[in-house]
Parts: sequence; structure tokens; C-alpha cells
Amino acid sequence: MNYPVWDVAFGTGLLIAIVSILHVFVSHFAVGGGLFLVLTERKALRQNDIGVLSWLRTHTRFFVLVTVVFGAISGVGIWFTIGLVHPSATSSLIHAYVWGWAIEWVFFFIEITAALLYFYGWDKLTPRLHLWYGWIYCIAAYGSLVIINGIITFMLTSGKWIQTHEFWAGFFNPTYFPSLALRTAIALALAGAYALVTASRLRDAALKARLVKWSVTWTLPPLAIMPALVWWYIRRIPPELWNSTRGAMPTASHGAVAAAVLAIGTFVLVLLTLVKPARLRLAYSLTIMLAALGTMGAFEFVREAIRKPFVIANYLYDNSLYATPSATDGGFSVEAVDRAGVLNTARWVQPPAPGKGADVAAGRQIFRVECQSCHTADAYRGMRQLLTARQWDRPALHAMLASLDLMHNGVMPPFAGTDTERDALSAYLATLYQAGAPPSDGQRLFQQNCATCHEAAPGDSAIVTIRALDAQTASDSLSSLPALFVRMPDLRLSEQQRIILVQWIKARFSEAAMTPRHSAAVYAAMR
Amino acid sequence: MPLHNPVPMLDPIPLPAPYWVFKLLLAVTFTLHILAMNFMLGGMALALASRWSGSRERANRLFTDVATKLPALLPAAVTLGVAPLLFLQVMYGQFFYTSSVLIAWPWFLALVMLMLAYYGVYYVSARTHRQAGSGRGVLLASFLLVTVIGFLFSNNLTLSQTPSAWAGKYFADPSGWNLNLLEPTLLPRYLHFFTAAVAAGGLLLMLVAYFKRESDRDYRRYVSRFGGRAFEFATMAQFPIGLWFLVSLPPGQRMLFLGDNGLATALLAAGIAGAAATVLVVERALRQDNYLLGAIGGTGITALVVLAMAVMRDILRDDYLKPYFHPERFVVQTQWTVLPLFLAVFLGGVALWAVMLWRYPFSAAVKPQAQRSGAER
Repeated sequence: MNYPVWDVAFGTGLLIAIVSILHVFVSHFAVGGGLFLVLTERKALRQNDIGVLSWLRTHTRFFVLVTVVFGAISGVGIWFTIGLVHPSATSSLIHAYVWGWAIEWVFFFIEITAALLYFYGWDKLTPRLHLWYGWIYCIAAYGSLVIINGIITFMLTSGKWIQTHEFWAGFFNPTYFPSLALRTAIALALAGAYALVTASRLRDAALKARLVKWSVTWTLPPLAIMPALVWWYIRRIPPELWNSTRGAMPTASHGAVAAAVLAIGTFVLVLLTLVKPARLRLAYSLTIMLAALGTMGAFEFVREAIRKPFVIANYLYDNSLYATPSATDGGFSVEAVDRAGVLNTARWVQPPAPGKGADVAAGRQIFRVECQSCHTADAYRGMRQLLTARQWDRPALHAMLASLDLMHNGVMPPFAGTDTERDALSAYLATLYQAGAPPSDGQRLFQQNCATCHEAAPGDSAIVTIRALDAQTASDSLSSLPALFVRMPDLRLSEQQRIILVQWIKARFSEAAMTPRHSAAVYAAMR
Repeated sequence: MPLHNPVPMLDPIPLPAPYWVFKLLLAVTFTLHILAMNFMLGGMALALASRWSGSRERANRLFTDVATKLPALLPAAVTLGVAPLLFLQVMYGQFFYTSSVLIAWPWFLALVMLMLAYYGVYYVSARTHRQAGSGRGVLLASFLLVTVIGFLFSNNLTLSQTPSAWAGKYFADPSGWNLNLLEPTLLPRYLHFFTAAVAAGGLLLMLVAYFKRESDRDYRRYVSRFGGRAFEFATMAQFPIGLWFLVSLPPGQRMLFLGDNGLATALLAAGIAGAAATVLVVERALRQDNYLLGAIGGTGITALVVLAMAVMRDILRDDYLKPYFHPERFVVQTQWTVLPLFLAVFLGGVALWAVMLWRYPFSAAVKPQAQRSGAER
């Protein structure tokens, strides 16, 4: 709201995702690949293995072309992109961590210089001096990760920084060390995976077999210890965030499953290269790379997803509103916007002309400044698709927006703005989809009206409550949801719909329909 | 629709060091970036132009000598560009982010173009290494891409200092497909930078001539003369272009350099005198075949002129932004627990970088059998 919003029809979130995922896939290689180069060179020198040295020289060219060019420019690309999509967040990160970025820049400069000298030095340097440049590269590249990791994890778990605003309090945050360990493992695994690509091009079968075996020793052990590192990481993430991946946020849950499946797939694919290492094909090695890219992409997607609704944990929402009001926030906090209104606060909106359709036009403006950093009308995280599935009409939308921050276990920020603006946003959202016939089966009623906050699970509070009441009382209680819990949306289901919904819940979670495990969960919830 | 106040508010997080520290770092790193960028862009221009500079064989040799340096000069320009962009965002984020969003797509695509230009440079370097003079078409493509990138930077940075132009552009097209083509200073400013790059390309050739001690005398002389003449013509062209730039400035800003601001006026005078002096030094060096004077003298004075220009540019920007930018309102909370660490890493990094270059046998053609000694350098 402080900055203009960049309108991108397919969604700026998707643009960030594409740039970031491609960058991290290369930048981790840039980190792990440094150690791979020096240790491989040292080993080959000790064994006087001319074949490996000759291959390593080719691999260095590949390494430089991928990391120094694509890696470096796409890294600047992330910076450019987040500056365009989240200027307030970028500004916060720059102000809080400019000295971190500046230190990282020194490492970056050393890293690029050392990489080029190492590359060109194959022709000119003594082995000892050549390795010296390699080690400098390796250390500087790892130094970059050590710094960047502090800032990325700060965004997910800002730790004590929220109270102190002190550099190191945010830098060494709860997920710093598990993330560093995990990313180190990823970097080493990728170093081996990338090496398989250049090794697969070799004609000398014996040499290829040697290099495949050597590369696999870089990939499999880190992949094997990754579950432990992930477990450590997850343990340091607040449970309410991790809940997003356990059903509360469908996309995060799918991402987590995809990351696990693809990681296992990568492990198996790499393991299988050992069956006939001398016959590794380029296409197979590229398949491994695709699986690894998918794993990495899914991992980063989950990290970004569970961070929602924040872009910097507990400090700045994805829509650039500050979580807690302060004297210097310029009125860009949820509380202040609730009082003053979105359209009065945002600098880059044009108030709609009064008259017919003014509410929809105002709603569209509100959507642009408050929702568009994550959602689009009908593309990435498109509202058309979401609302077509849920069929919320304007009154339902108005009611749902009031408790937006409760949806999907709190992955949405609260709606900020006046009641009139909430109504205008509802009016706009209601234009985005075609209303279908009202649902007449209990399952669809549940999915459309309850599932954004409640799980269809025996331990869920709504399920427990309805099961405990008789059908008529349960149905009556649904006629005024805010009376049950003040933050519940004031949904207006017909009496028939309420009865169908209650009957479905009771049938779905009857003792006969539930497994003993379910019954135990209900018992625990009731207690 | 004009906005009541188009400029976004200051970031609530205090500046992590005094304002002047960032100003200083911006001026120094920007100067280094511009020097590297000018060497790279001017080197490309002259490598391409060398075709019309004499015999095909000599031109191809020069092309190879320059093209094989581009894979080092381009990353130098990029990495040295990251730092000023960082320090700029600390102080001028309100202006820079906004103008960037207004021209978002061209700004984003600049990096795609940069990547293509980068790969092009690697390709040409490898190609001409095998067959001297080949790869001109690809180098031309890289060169054009880099000139477009420079033009986009000029668009963004001129737009960032004219907030009154923002609302009109944004509300006409919020999808980020804007440029700043109607800005009167855009073209002279861009030409001023571009011509400086050609001049720096000339200095690069003089440096090549100076360090090519093993080369035959004719070739060395040819490279030095071609570079020196390019430097002289480009620098002399700066006098009318610079005047155009000055005249295109709004009267208030123009007068900064004509007496209203003592420092700006003195720097402009010094810059002009420095440029003229460099032309004389280069001319003398060419007449005497004094490669050291041309390369080191010319580059040394030019670096000082570029520093003066960087400070002038800063004064100009702050004057443009005077109605909106109030550095006295910055709250400063110096991060004492990390600033010294940065300084230590920075100084250590510079030292290590120098050692890396010092130990590298740039002039060695073949792999030495034994560890080099300092004397072999």
C-alpha cells in the first residue's frame, strides 16, 4: 500500500517462485561444487589420474558457465523481483541486514574472482596454486551461504528480533542452524548430481565408471541424512506454522508430500546409477537433475508457504501491512487501516467514481493493494477457481472476510479496512465466478462453508461439538454461528441445509464409521 | 490523477550506520562500478570497431585481445554494481523501488538480457581464442544488449528522481510496461555515459598495449594509437554532449553547476579540466610512444574525473529530490555489533583479492613446471 502494486495477470508470486527456484538450484551447486572441485582435483593429483583431471577441467567450464553466469545473475534477479513485488519487505530486509548483505557481497566478489582464476588457471597454474584458488572459492562460496541463510531463516522465524530489532538476534534465529545444515547437505548432494551430468558425456567407460561412483558418494550420504536434518528443521519451526503442511493449507501439504516423494525418487535414481556406472546416459543424468530440481522447488515452496501470512515472520504481512502498529509505520498496520480505511491509506489507488458499480470498482482496488501480492483474479492462486469451488455469495464473502485470519489455520492475514470496504471487496469477488446451484449434499456443504477453518477430522472442534449435540439442537446452533464463537462468520444456511450438514457430520463420524484411532482422537478432544 | 504525496514513507527500521557512511560507500562503489562497466562496454565497442582500423590481421588480433578479457570485465561490472545498488536502496529506497515498479517489466528483463549478453561474451571469447576475429556477430548482439541495459538503467534512475511523473505513468499503465522517454535529460545523460564508455574502452586498449610487453612493436603501437585516438575523440565529444546534458537540466538544477552550489561548480570545472588534461596526456603519450604515461596516467586521471562526476551526480539527485527527501529525518541506530565485522571482512577481502591477482601469472602462456617466484611475475 505504501508502494505501487505491479499488475501481472499470471501472478507476481509465480514469477518469484520461478526465479527463486531456478536460482537456488544453481546457487547450492555453486556452494557444494566448490568443495567438489578441490577435493576431486586433490584426489586426482594424488593418484596421478590424468583422465579425471582432464574431465575436471571440462567440468570447471560447465561449473563456471552455470554458477558464475546464471547463478550470479539470477541471484540479482531474485533481489530485483522481490523489490518489484514486495518493495516494503525488501526495504525492511535491506535496512535490518544491510551489513549482512554487504559482507555477503565481499564473499561474492571473492568467489567470482576465485572461480574465474581457477577456471583460467587450469592452463597456467601449478597444481598447488590452482588448488589454492579453488579453496578460496570454496570458502567464499560457503561464506555466502552462511550469511544468506541467516537472512532467509530470519524471514521464517524472526526470533527475538521482534522485541530487540538487533542484528544477531534475528540472524541466529531458531531455524538458522538446522537450515544451514540442511542446505549444506543439499549443496553437497547437488555437487555430485551436477557432476553426473558432465560425467555422462564421457566416452571412456572406465573413467566414466570411476567418476560416477565418486559423484554418487557426494550425493547419497547427504540425501541419506537429510530426513534427520529435516526433522531437526521442523522441530525448530513453530508447530502452528508446520500445521500448514499437515492438511491445514492444501498447497503446502501437497508441496511437502512432493518434496518427500521427489527426494526419495532422486535417491533411488542416483543409487541405480551404481548398477551400470559405465553406461550412464546424459538423459538419465538429466532425469536425476529434474528430480532434484523438483525436490528443491517443493522444499522452497513449502518454506515460503508456511511463512504465510507473513513475508517477515510476525513483523510484515505478505500484503506489506505491519503486524503491530508503531509510531513510525505511517499508518500501514492492520489496526490503523481498520480505522482509516484501505482506500484512504493506500497511496497508489484511484478512488472509483460514484454511481452504479462503484462498490465493485472499489473492491477491485482493495483486492489489488491487499490481496494481489499472493492472489490473482484467475491465474496463480486465482480467486475465480477458489470461489467457484466454494460458491460464497456476497453476504457469505462479507462474513468470511471478517475472519480471514482464521482460515486454513491462520495462513491468511486479517482483512484490514472498514466494513464498507469489506463489503466492496465482497462485491468484487462475487463478480469473479459463476454461481452454481446451491449444494444439497452434506459433504459439499461442509467443504464450501466449513472446510477453510475446520478439518473433516474427528478431533476438530466443530465435529466434536456437533457429535455431542442431538440433531435438532446442533442444527439450531448453526443458525447463528457468531453466538457459538464470536469470530465465526455469520453464514446464513437454510434450515434444510443445516439439517443436511448435521446429518452428514453425524453419519460420517458415527462410531460405526470410525476406526479405533479416530475414536481415540475424539475421546482426547472431548477431554 | 496527481497523488497528494506520491513518495512512499521512510522505512520504519532505522539506518544501521550514519547517513554519510552510506553516501561514502555509494560514491566509492559506484565509481568502481562505472569504471568496470565502461571498460567492458567500451572494450566491446572498440573490439567491434577495430575491423575498420587497419589490416584484417591486426584487427583480429586486437579483437581477440579485448574479447578474451570480457568474461572477466563483465562480471567485474556486475559484482561492482551490486554494492552501489545495495547502498542506494538503504538511502533512496522510497524513490528507487517506486520507479522500478513503474518500469517493472523492462527492469526485470534487463537481467534476462544481461544473462544473454554474458553467455555471448563467453562464446565469443572461446571462439576467437580458436580462430582470431571470429564471433563478431555474437559480440555485436551482446554489445547491443548491454547498451539497452544501460538505457534501461538511465530510464529507471531518471524516473526515480522525478516523483511528479510517477502517478501519470502508473495510472496509465500499472502493468509495469513504462519507460521514461519523455524525460528531457534522458538522452543526453545516456549519451554522456555511453561516450564515457567508449573513452574508457580506449584506455583499456592503452592498458592492453602497456601490458603486452612481449608483443611486437608495431602491434603494440597500433593498439595504443587506436585506443588513444578513440579516447581522445570520445572525450572531446563529451564537451558538446555534456553541454547538452547541462542545458537539458531544469534551470534550478543547471544553476547548481554554474555557481549556485560551490562544490558542484568546482567539481564540474575540475571534471572538465581533468578531461582536457587527460586528452593532452594521452596525446603526448601517443606522440612519444610512452605506453606507461598513456595507460596509467590516462586511467589515473580518468578515475579521479569519474569520482568527481559521481559526486556531482549525487548532488544533482539530492537537489532533484529536495522537496521529498529529508535525510535529516533518518533515525540512525548504528549496528556496532556488525559494522566492524563488515569493515574487517571488507579490508580482508580487498587484501585477499589483491593477493589473488598478484599470485596469478597473467602473462604466462604455458603452465609453469614449478612454483612461481615473485620475480617471475
